[in-house]
Amino acid sequence: MEKIESVYIHIPFCNTICNYCDFCKMFYNEKIVDDYLIALEKEIKKIYNGDIIKTIYIGGGTPSSLTIKQLEKLFNIVKLFNFSNKYEYTIEVNINDITIEKLELFKENKINRISIGIETINNKFANFLNREINKKKFIEKINIAKKYFKNINIDLMYAFPNETIEDLEKDLKFIEMINVPHISIYSLIIEEHTKIYIDNINPIDDELEEKMYYKINSYLKKIGYTHYEISNFAKKGYFSKHNLTYWNNLEYYGFGLGASGYINNLRYTNTKSINNYLKGKYIYEKQLITKKISMENEMILGLRKISGINKRLFFQKYNFNIEQVFDIIDLLKNKLLIDDGKNLYIPEENLYISNCILVNFIGGSNE
Amino acid sequence: MDKSYIRNFSIIAHIDHGKSTLADRILEITNAVTAREAKAQLLDSMDIERERGITIKLNTASLKYTYKNEEYNLNLIDTPGHVDFSYEVSRSLASCEGAILVVDATQGIEAQTLANLYLALENNLTIIPVINKIDLPNADIPKVKKELIDLIGFKDEDIVLTSAKTGVGIKELVDKIVEVIPPPNGDKNLPLQGLIFDSIFDPYRGVIISVRIMNGTLKIGDTIKMMQTNATYEVIELMINTPKEVKKEKLEAGEVGFIAASIKSISDIKVGDTITLEKNPCQKALPGYKPMKSMVFCGLFPIESSKFEDLRDALSKLQLNDASLVFEPETSTALGFGFRCGFLGLLHMDIIKERVTREFDIDLITTAPSVIYEAYLNNGDILTIDAPAKMPDKTLLKEIKEPYIKTNIFTPSEYIGPIMELCQNKRGTYVSMEYIDPTRVNIHYELPLSEIVYDFFDKLKSFTKGYASFDYELIGYRTSNLVKMDILLNGEIVDALSIIVHKDFAYQRGRSIVENLRKNIPRQLFEVPIQASIGNHVIARETIKALRKDVLAKCYGGDITRKRKLLEKQKEGKKRMKQVGSIELPQEAFMSILSMDEEK
Repeated sequence: MEKIESVYIHIPFCNTICNYCDFCKMFYNEKIVDDYLIALEKEIKKIYNGDIIKTIYIGGGTPSSLTIKQLEKLFNIVKLFNFSNKYEYTIEVNINDITIEKLELFKENKINRISIGIETINNKFANFLNREINKKKFIEKINIAKKYFKNINIDLMYAFPNETIEDLEKDLKFIEMINVPHISIYSLIIEEHTKIYIDNINPIDDELEEKMYYKINSYLKKIGYTHYEISNFAKKGYFSKHNLTYWNNLEYYGFGLGASGYINNLRYTNTKSINNYLKGKYIYEKQLITKKISMENEMILGLRKISGINKRLFFQKYNFNIEQVFDIIDLLKNKLLIDDGKNLYIPEENLYISNCILVNFIGGSNE
Repeated sequence: MDKSYIRNFSIIAHIDHGKSTLADRILEITNAVTAREAKAQLLDSMDIERERGITIKLNTASLKYTYKNEEYNLNLIDTPGHVDFSYEVSRSLASCEGAILVVDATQGIEAQTLANLYLALENNLTIIPVINKIDLPNADIPKVKKELIDLIGFKDEDIVLTSAKTGVGIKELVDKIVEVIPPPNGDKNLPLQGLIFDSIFDPYRGVIISVRIMNGTLKIGDTIKMMQTNATYEVIELMINTPKEVKKEKLEAGEVGFIAASIKSISDIKVGDTITLEKNPCQKALPGYKPMKSMVFCGLFPIESSKFEDLRDALSKLQLNDASLVFEPETSTALGFGFRCGFLGLLHMDIIKERVTREFDIDLITTAPSVIYEAYLNNGDILTIDAPAKMPDKTLLKEIKEPYIKTNIFTPSEYIGPIMELCQNKRGTYVSMEYIDPTRVNIHYELPLSEIVYDFFDKLKSFTKGYASFDYELIGYRTSNLVKMDILLNGEIVDALSIIVHKDFAYQRGRSIVENLRKNIPRQLFEVPIQASIGNHVIARETIKALRKDVLAKCYGGDITRKRKLLEKQKEGKKRMKQVGSIELPQEAFMSILSMDEEK
């Protein structure tokens, strides 16, 4: 049985709901949060088997929307896990929730990485997202955060309706100025069941969006970041170990409402119904991962990494070479995939059309 | 059964004039089905028939009816209404002694009504004229009566008024069937002569033959012989459809029924062939049918090349009860192996395409329909061209001839102007126009058939708000100034996209085709130029921009399940496209060369 080294915990509560968000979330309610934490503890105790844990990620929702007392309770639950000597322990934080009190609490509870959602510093787009911003306050908050944490991630977004390259550059300059070691940057995707979808918002022009993507890549590289995953950039030594668990197709525990996990060859998704969750009906659906599906996932996830998939490791894991399992001749011929002898990867210029490449690794819906 | 108590009849009508509903009422009044059973339109058993509201494949029902204390056996033989299917109509009619002609009380006589009526008259059938839908508020009975009397020569007192919806007049109509339609001729003691007028393939029982016994008697256990193919089989089952299947011991002269004889070989059974007994054969075969000539051709190619044999099998099975379908293997540089298929018309083509996809689960690419051209070469040879790609080089050509048709367009007189304009634009030549009554006319034009194949139906519908009806007959071949236009994708000719156009319209068509292709071909990994060319001369050009963005969003919390679902959906879409060189083409691309937007 594979040793599981990563844990994801979902905190589905927010003080405001962003217009684009289709993650599992609900408005903060003190009583429900209290009950939720009890249910979460039960779920963890039921499933966790004592594995040594190297990465923990508390995501949301907005984990920082919880009260100090609730956060203390949450962190005590996390203490159920056996931590490895070296570990990465991240919590997502809304920048407006950053206070010295909370930062100190994080620090006391072994957290060593925080992920701050900023998305944009442009008022126009922040309004569009239903997020509050204040550039001056942001800088203050980040400077405080930096006093407590070295390892900080900033979430950014781009490709807002009517956004220009100049607008994007302003956000990038801000990022450059605040100088944190990790940046995740995603284009706005208009997902079903979100307000912007219901409002019939049109995505921006494909070509402009592509320009923006490559602008971001070159800008961040120039100022010292390594592009290591489709949407992730980091300074040396600051790659997200937790996210690499996903991209390396390794098993992990997923706890909380709507969370997904991967344990003992089983990928599962938890219920999104808070009532069911509180009643202890955690799992909504599960899928047994056959060797074939696992190999497909290995490709789909692994090719998100800029360095791609290590061919030798693939063979060690599955006892097959990639070429034996997948027909990649045409992909290589068309330079959609590159084989440098050691790794198989999608070249930078084709990252933006990854789906066309990844679709070749899907066996079909009947499996 | 004493054949003087048998009546064999069909119903002929224009689409939508209520034929299927009328058939249901007849089934009800003869107690063949209870009202509850008569859901919608019992005789239309194929899905596609229900959906399109037309009867494609014929069907037969044997009904019992008591008239003046005597029991009669009424055989209702269903016919398709659309002009494309006139071959099948004539098959049905050959097995009948009478026909009910249904005319909509709100619409009057339509082009197809006449076409089918003439077929019935050719078969010497007794016609019962019926005005249906008399319950509708806009029914104009006197006017429609006058049309029937003036145009066809019926007598006022012969016309039956019905509402298939409410049931009014149905009993009177069925009585009339008994009274007016003659019982079948024929002698049950003569050697067996049975007309095959339909057949279907049943996976468990083999080919099932629909037969009308003209002379003689057929019993279970008899060895039958097909006079055309010389195949012999032992009869295992005899049945009639009431419309539930009822087993019979024998079928006699005048009767209509079904034969099952474990017939595995589809090619042994030809619709129109005569069945006789091996031991006591009849002297000569029945006249059979004049096979209809295919008017419209297109290529059918399986999207997955490995399904080529499956496609052949599917077409063979469809051909079994649709002799009008013809096909032969075709090879396309772009699309690989497929079949060139000939159809009676556009509707027929659509239905075959749908049946192949639905009933046989084969995804198809179909090329744009084309007519048959005659190419006269300088060396005196004459070639028949059923696919544009087969057109010889213009240096070899003396002239090209194309098929022309003559129209019957029935329309309210207010649309005369727009229709004439439409016909002129379609290279039509005006012939004449007749007034049916002060507000309706029948317009005759001579038009190239290729223009009909193109978008004439749609245009006619939109020009007349759907009020005009249309029918045509082939009148022969004429010389035209035609050229072959090729379409190039990424600099390479895609043979399956070539078309033959009139030179005067070529530029306009070229522009509209490349434009449509640009809209219908999804973005590819690289930029794809689209060109229309005649010979080496490019007359129109567009570009499909390269795909810019196709990337998975945030892989949230490691949830790959959702991402896989997205990729699987994308893969499904890809499956429906045909790989042509390095370009993926959807079906729409092939049909888009037919639609023309710029005239709107």
